[in-house]
Amino acid sequence: MARSEDYDVCVVGTGAGGGVVIDQFTAAGFRVVALQRGPHLRTSAFVDDDELKTVVRDEIFSPDQLETWRPDEGSPTETGRFNMTAHCVGGTMLHWSAYSWRFRPDEFRVLSEEGPVEGASLADWPIDYEELEPYYERAEWDFGVSGDPGANPFGAPRQRGYPNPPHPDRSAGLRFKAGARKLGYHPFPTPIAANSQPHGGRPGCLYGGTCGGYGCPIGAKGTTFAVSLPKAQRTGLLDLRPNSLVFEIALGRDGRARGVRYIDQSSREEREVRARHIFVCGNAVGTPHLLLMSKSGSFPDGLANSSGLVGRNLMLHVFTAASYVFDEGSRDFTGLGSHAAIDDLHASDASRGFIRGGVVASDNFVVKQPILHALWRGNSYPGSDRAWGADFKDYLRTFSRTSSVLSVGEDLPMEANRIDPDPEVTDEWGLPVPRMTHRQHPNDVAMSHWHADRLLEIGDAAGAVDRWIVLRVTDEEPRKGSSHLHGTCRMGDDPSRSVVNRWCRSHDVPNLWVADGSVFPTSGGYNPTLTILANAYRVADHFVTEARKGAL
Amino acid sequence: MDRREFVGRSALYGMTFWLLLNVPRPNALRAAAESTEAAVFSEEEWRTVEAITARIVPTDRDPGAVEANCVNFIDKALAHEDAELLPTYREALPQVDRIAAERFGAGFTELEADAQDEILIAIEARDVSGWNASISSEEFFEIVRSHTLIGFLADPKYGGNRDYVGWKLGGYPGPRHNMGGYTPAQMIGEETIKAIWGEEI
Repeated sequence: MARSEDYDVCVVGTGAGGGVVIDQFTAAGFRVVALQRGPHLRTSAFVDDDELKTVVRDEIFSPDQLETWRPDEGSPTETGRFNMTAHCVGGTMLHWSAYSWRFRPDEFRVLSEEGPVEGASLADWPIDYEELEPYYERAEWDFGVSGDPGANPFGAPRQRGYPNPPHPDRSAGLRFKAGARKLGYHPFPTPIAANSQPHGGRPGCLYGGTCGGYGCPIGAKGTTFAVSLPKAQRTGLLDLRPNSLVFEIALGRDGRARGVRYIDQSSREEREVRARHIFVCGNAVGTPHLLLMSKSGSFPDGLANSSGLVGRNLMLHVFTAASYVFDEGSRDFTGLGSHAAIDDLHASDASRGFIRGGVVASDNFVVKQPILHALWRGNSYPGSDRAWGADFKDYLRTFSRTSSVLSVGEDLPMEANRIDPDPEVTDEWGLPVPRMTHRQHPNDVAMSHWHADRLLEIGDAAGAVDRWIVLRVTDEEPRKGSSHLHGTCRMGDDPSRSVVNRWCRSHDVPNLWVADGSVFPTSGGYNPTLTILANAYRVADHFVTEARKGAL
Repeated sequence: MDRREFVGRSALYGMTFWLLLNVPRPNALRAAAESTEAAVFSEEEWRTVEAITARIVPTDRDPGAVEANCVNFIDKALAHEDAELLPTYREALPQVDRIAAERFGAGFTELEADAQDEILIAIEARDVSGWNASISSEEFFEIVRSHTLIGFLADPKYGGNRDYVGWKLGGYPGPRHNMGGYTPAQMIGEETIKAIWGEEI
């Protein structure tokens, strides 16, 4: 094994951001050490997945997850597991639903588009859509997005189509599309990073029904686990260390990051690994948590935190969802997360009583498998006050006729919404767990309310015999985490107003970089992963170019 | 959505997820495969829990929680993955019987269905006097409710959903991601699907 100081780059985290930079750096001939806190599973491990073990009990992806949450500084915290992340090699992308959107050009300049908004810390991105466009294309082709490139009239412009044709329809998606068309909307096949045909040495999807929330047992779903990391390992330049829980980035006397300190969870020993550059890719919870735990004389408030913004502006997206019951089979237990979507509600329109927007997709999260269908009825169904007994059994009978629809909306950044290390609650290693402080902006609530009405209208137009809201953002009900995490190390040109620069390089520590959802200044009204991938390709390109010039 | 939303707003898994960290996980699967005899419940506890599950998913023209053997699922879960909840059951079940005796002069299992429902409605609404346990009666009810539904609908290998009665009720053919998935014609309902118990649906 190489001596520890022989690595060119150390990457913390192997999800969407980390996996891409690992691949790009090893392809460029750099020696990379990558640390991931959880185990390295084999693809075959996902064959045995079932709903109880994998989703309800989460015995696979992050059984060691522990967090605290509070709505504001003055409130006590709750301890639990709130965010939907995965700790194994491949990160949260392992169980993503693979929705693959390009942000619209206006989503990179929200402050300019909207002007300042009270209570929100809107910002423009330091980059624009044109700069990211070629990297979106690369991400779509590497991860095998399947879709119809001309079908969404409200989507971002593109130079090149998708590598794979759209996935076939599902009954519920056909009903959704028919309802949407009646209302004058423009439905299209949801772009999904799972192969609709063999592509990139990986097989086509078998439409087994367990995509989001599950690992793919055949590697048809585009993940860094299936795409980037195997490629990086074949170069012989990657030292991949699973079960390695990083708890500190160590600072050298020269003001550069010297390396990272971690717990080898297999041997239970503490170790350090050194590298010339450190990339932190631990998602918008893990990345600021690690930086803020890395205190030193020069950075008493956490590493790279001269702006005071590390951990701040946490964004979770505005999720609004409805269940529809049809008089015939929805087949929502087959196929992918989504087969149909509309984007007509995306453009910002302040006359609705809120700004910004989002995308709406027919989504099988309620009916993927039967336990969740039963539990979702819980307290959301308006027709009866009991979620048990004879009426409830009638609800269980609707499983195969039920479908759901999900709207993903842009939430506004607020500095008070943040991640920091909890001063009281520690994990099994004695490390402070991430503490989330989050309260929704009034704009998020207004957006969710409006979207809920639209979702019910679509259900009516689609011929649903019953439909109701199962999920919305309200004033009363706090948001306790998300599957979409962004914003806690925002990028920008001004070192006093951002954590990293346009290349996602720390303003404070010259060899420290961030490549994940943390760097998003605003959240966009789309699932974020394709943008995390594209931005990671962009940053890696810059790094390789500069490194070869000797400019780093 | 957040994790609790994703698993369907179940108080059970909101509450117990973090308690279960770092607990060795002797497998309820193995226990369920080995025996349908009680692993932790006494005969009386078994009967009371079974009677409660029977009201949560009652038997009508189709099988319910009793036929699915939900009580066996709960017994195996409490012996293993959900062992931290066993004391909760142990302190709450006698109180269910106490409330039954106070209101109707008999044990819970001896009552008619309507009387049992009345008691469970009161327990769920915290409308019971003298409830003395580490969690509220409402929280206890939510734990049993979630356990029953999960037992009714989880893979039969966990000890419930006997003869796939839970899956048959909703028209779920069983997992297919490890058995070749679905064809495009099946995804739009133009072709039937052979369920795991052999029926075409």
